[in-house]
This record gives sequence, C-alpha cells and structure tokens, in this order.
Amino acid sequence: MSQAHALSLVGLTKRYGSFTAVNDVSLDVAQGQFLTLLGPSGSGKTTILMAIAGFVAPSAGAILLDGREITPLPPEKRDFGMVFQGYALFPHMTVAENLAFPLRVRGMERAERDTKIRATLDLVQLSQFAERRPSQLSGGQQQRVALARALVFEPNLLLLDEPLSALDKKLRAELQDELKTLHRRIGRTFINVTHDQEEAMSLSDTVAILNHGKLIQIGAPDALYDRPRTRFVAGFLGKSNMISGRIAERIGATARVSVGATTLTQRLATGATGDTVLLSLRPERIALLGDGETAENMVEGHVSAWSYLGAGHSLTVETTDLGSLRLTLPTWRAPFAPAEGLTLRLGWPSDAAAPVEDDGDE
Amino acid sequence: MTGGYGPGPFARTLAWMAVIYLVLPITIVIPVSFTDQRFLSLPRDGLSLRHYENLITSAPWLSAIGQSAMIAVVSTLLAVIAGTLCAIGCWRIGNRTTEWLRALMLLPLIIPSIVYAVGLYRYFGALDLLGTFLGVVLAHGVTGIPYVVITVSAALSSFDPRLEQAARGMGASLSQTLRWVILPRIAPGIASGAIFAFIHSWDELVMVLFIASRSIVTLPRKIWDGINENADPTMAVVAVLLIVLTLSLLLLDGALRKRRDA
Ligand SMILES: Nc1ncnc2c1ncn2[C@@H]1O[C@H](COP(=O)(O)OP(=O)(O)OP(=O)(O)O)[C@@H](O)[C@H]1O
Ligand SMILES: [Mg+2]
Repeated sequence: MSQAHALSLVGLTKRYGSFTAVNDVSLDVAQGQFLTLLGPSGSGKTTILMAIAGFVAPSAGAILLDGREITPLPPEKRDFGMVFQGYALFPHMTVAENLAFPLRVRGMERAERDTKIRATLDLVQLSQFAERRPSQLSGGQQQRVALARALVFEPNLLLLDEPLSALDKKLRAELQDELKTLHRRIGRTFINVTHDQEEAMSLSDTVAILNHGKLIQIGAPDALYDRPRTRFVAGFLGKSNMISGRIAERIGATARVSVGATTLTQRLATGATGDTVLLSLRPERIALLGDGETAENMVEGHVSAWSYLGAGHSLTVETTDLGSLRLTLPTWRAPFAPAEGLTLRLGWPSDAAAPVEDDGDE
Repeated sequence: MTGGYGPGPFARTLAWMAVIYLVLPITIVIPVSFTDQRFLSLPRDGLSLRHYENLITSAPWLSAIGQSAMIAVVSTLLAVIAGTLCAIGCWRIGNRTTEWLRALMLLPLIIPSIVYAVGLYRYFGALDLLGTFLGVVLAHGVTGIPYVVITVSAALSSFDPRLEQAARGMGASLSQTLRWVILPRIAPGIASGAIFAFIHSWDELVMVLFIASRSIVTLPRKIWDGINENADPTMAVVAVLLIVLTLSLLLLDGALRKRRDA
C-alpha cells in the first residue's frame, strides 16, 4: 500500500462563457487529511471536485498531486476514488460486480479480486448483500456500496460529492460516524463536498468555505466557527448576531465600541479610533445576568420571541441600541419560564464577539 | 378508461370501420393460403395444405427465402453497428452539429424510397454494384440505420451520464466503458433497432426492383414477379409466413421493452 496523497490547487479558475463558476481558488490538502468544501448551492463545489477528478478542464490554474502537476491528465489516469452525488452505481451489476469493476479495469486476477471485494464489503458491513442489485438496497446501503467501490482499489485520494445528502437525518448521522471512523482507520486523503455545515464541522480536519466560486476562508472547524473572517462565514456556519459599531477609544488590545448610546468593551487587534467595526456574537456566548451579577458588556431588553429546543431555549431579546439579539440558554440554566415582554439583563465578556469583514453577504 | 364519456355510436362505427379497413387485406390472405384451387382464390370445396407443401418443396421459393434471410441478417448487422456507433457518438459529443447529424441520419425514413432507389441506381451503376448481393445489403443496411439510431438514442437519453464518469473515474478506458457499462445498459434499445432494421430489409421491394438484377431474388421480389406472371396461391402462403414472422418480431420487441421498463 502506498502513501496517502497531498493535493494542492493553485489559482484554479473555471469559466463557462462569461460566467465564472470557480474564481482563483488556491488551497492545500495535506496527506491523510479530511478536507470539506462547504458552500451554498451554486458556489462551485462540484466544479472544483470535478476539476480535481479530471472531468472538468480548468480555464486557468493548476492541480498538483504531491507537488507534480496533474492538470492535463485524463480522469482514468489519476487513480482517485470517487463517490458521486447520487452514487452512480451500475444498475445492471450486482454489488460484488460493482466492486469488481475497478479491479477488472486494472486486470486483476479473479481470486485476488474476490479476496479484495470480500474484505471491502466487510469494511462497510455489507457482506450479506454481495449478490443483490443496487435497486434492491436501501439508500444507506447504496451509499455504502458507492463508498466500498471507491475504496476497493485502494486509491490514495478519495473524492466525495455530497455522499450523504440523499439520506434522512438519522441515517446521515450514523454514516457520518462511519465515514469518520473509516477515514481514521485507512488513513487516506478525503476531499468531501457538502452544503450541510453540521456535516462539514463534525467530519473534517479542515473546512474550505466557498461563495460565488471564491474561497472565502479555510481552516479547522473550531477556528472558522470562533473566528469567522467575514459576515458570510459567520452566518453560514451556524447562527450569529451581527453588531455594527464605531471605535470610540482604544486601550491596548481592547477597544470601546459605541453602538448608538451603548458602549461595548471588545477585544480588538486592529482598527483605529473612528473606524466602523462589525462584530459577530454567537447566541450561546450571551449569558443571562442575575441580580447583582455583572459582565464586561451588559445590555437590557425584553423577550419578543422564544422557542423550546429540548436541550435549551432559543430567545430573541429586543434591545434599544443593539437591535434584536438571539441567545440560546441550556434548559437547566433558564431560571424562568420565558414569556413575551419579560425584561432580561444580558452580558458577555470582551472576547466573546469576533470582528468580521462586511462582505455584504448574509 | 374510468370517468369521461364513452364514444358515441357514430365514432364507434367509424373506428371499427377503420380497423376493418386496415386489417382485412392482411387477414384475407390467411384463408386464401388454405385454398384447394390452383389460382389465388378463397377455398371452395375444403381446406388444403397443398400450397404449403408446394412452398417447402419448391427450390425457387426456398432460395428466395434464403436470399431474403441472408440479406436481412447481414444488412441488419451493418445497420446495428453503424447506427449504434452513430447514436453513441452523437450522444457523447452532444452539440448543435450532432443534432443536425442525427436529423440527417433519419433522411432515408423521410424520403420516399423510390427517390432513394433512383439515386442508388445511378450511383451503384458507376460502382458496379448493381445486381450484386453486396449492393442490396448496402442499400438495406444504410436505409436500416435510422431505425437503430432512433431506438439507441432513446435508450441513451435515459442513460445516466454519471455512470460513464464513474467508470472513467475508476480507470476504465473508453472501450472498457463502452463494453461493460454503456452497451449493457442500451442493449434493449439496440435489440429493438435490430428488429426494425430486420423487418425493413425483409419486406423491402422498391430498391430491390431497381438495383437487383435477375440474379438476386428476394421474397418480396418473388411475390411481385409471381403476381405479374401467374396467380400462384403459394404467394398467399408466403404472405402468411411474412405476417407471422413480422408479428412475432414485434411481439419480441414488445417483450424486450417491457423487460427494460420493469
Ligand atoms: N457545464 C456548465 N455550464 C455552465 N454553467 C455551469 C456548468 N456547470 C456548472 N455551472 C455553473 O457553475 C456554478 C457552480 O456549479 P456547481 O455545480 O459547482 O455548484 P455546487 O456548489 O456543486 O452546487 P450544489 O450544492 O447545488 O451542488 C453554478 O452556478 C452552475 O450553474
Ligand atoms: Mg454540487
């Protein structure tokens, strides 16, 4: 078995006529990493994956595999495993025949083929379905056949295009776990595409966020969540309160930010007095202040809407200067039954919010 | 047929008259083939199998059947190979030009065959193909292509192009993809096309009259000659055989379609 591959995209661009589907995307995937391309529909995820697989010829830029350029190679010369959106299993073949396909292509002997197929079916727990046709399998089983078929010839890079999108929520969660375990066990490089932010966060070592064909931000899931670079990233990865203010005064690494008549204390690395700043404040970072409790930032407001989520409450609180703030509280921490008009005091520390660039995208 | 209004008596009568008008000339040959007379007529004193016997013992008729079958098989092969490749090629390239090309391939179906035959006559004369087996096979094969192009294109339109990508992505060459993925998926379409191309050659007369000399006598040609020379009831027997063969091929096609759709 050979090593897992490292892959780099350098200035990858794909134009269809005057429309730019992928715009100057550069990124690196290290050996054995799990990278997810995340973005809304039409952001160019599939196009990037198809360019990596060799089905789409880039208009500009290069694709490097372990430092060697592979941009002009046809797909059959790249030796990547691929799971297509919708699986693309061969309907006229049984599960075992589907798995045999890439091995037959490589001219492998029957006995060796059978051993490999059996081992791979065991890996995805489908041994008893070897003689069935894809149409006789459930969605989750088909998905695992597609995965097995992509793995059976031991590719060093696996490409997955929304492999779980056709499944219901419970099955999706199960297969997410399986995929993650599998990745850890076989140590190959995985490149996954999804528009489901939860899937991206739970599976990946690295997430690349795309919008309108551009790479907006790339990094570890927690880094992206805690320090989104732009308003789009903050809004796309979970929910966020957006607060727009002006720097009134700078004291070392923190700044006093005035929003209407309210002044906030905010940890801020850059920006001079008078600059406008946009802050992203996650709902779970806002605390409810009891009598006599204080925080670096405090505002008062009244509840305008709430919903019960089982594990917690989601509240919308109207404030005079900051507009409506959304916050989530664990059920056991909510000392009251929420009611409309109830007045609450909210607080958060100076490092709770993250400054973001305003890219005009929600 | 639930709900709605049933047809009125006028429409019903008209429909039945149309059916009879279409089917009667075909069915009339069945009793005629069992006639006990020596000329084309309905049976008078009883049914007889003598003309069936005559057919299977008559060398000229048997040779005509053999020639027709031979020509039909070879020209079907030609039509299937050329038509399938053309359909797959157009489908893979899939641009404006191939749309035109595909329309062009349907021309033999649209142009009256007599026009085609006149053209072939001039053309084959120059190539020394008149009156040869090869000439007839070429003519039938080429005019059989549209049937194959139509049925294979239909089969391809329901073929998931991602299957081809999947195969290529797993390292399959174009020919491996064709053999292991595309052809098995469109086999029912190819079979349908082959059946139609076969029927087309099997009962084609006009072109044969033009380009085949006395040395090539196909079954329709022999019937044609027979009608003009003597009213031998063996022709009715042959006609029955033609009907039976064509019907069973159509039924076969129906069965294949049903299996594909299942
Ligand atoms: N062959 C093509 N010709 C023209 N435009 C195309 C073509 N393929 C894709 N596009 C456009 O490129 C953009 C990116 O498409 P892509 O399929 O990569 O999106 P995606 O991020 O995978 O979306 P989804 O989540 O819906 O699958 C879209 O706006 C799409 O309309
Ligand atoms: Mg896509």
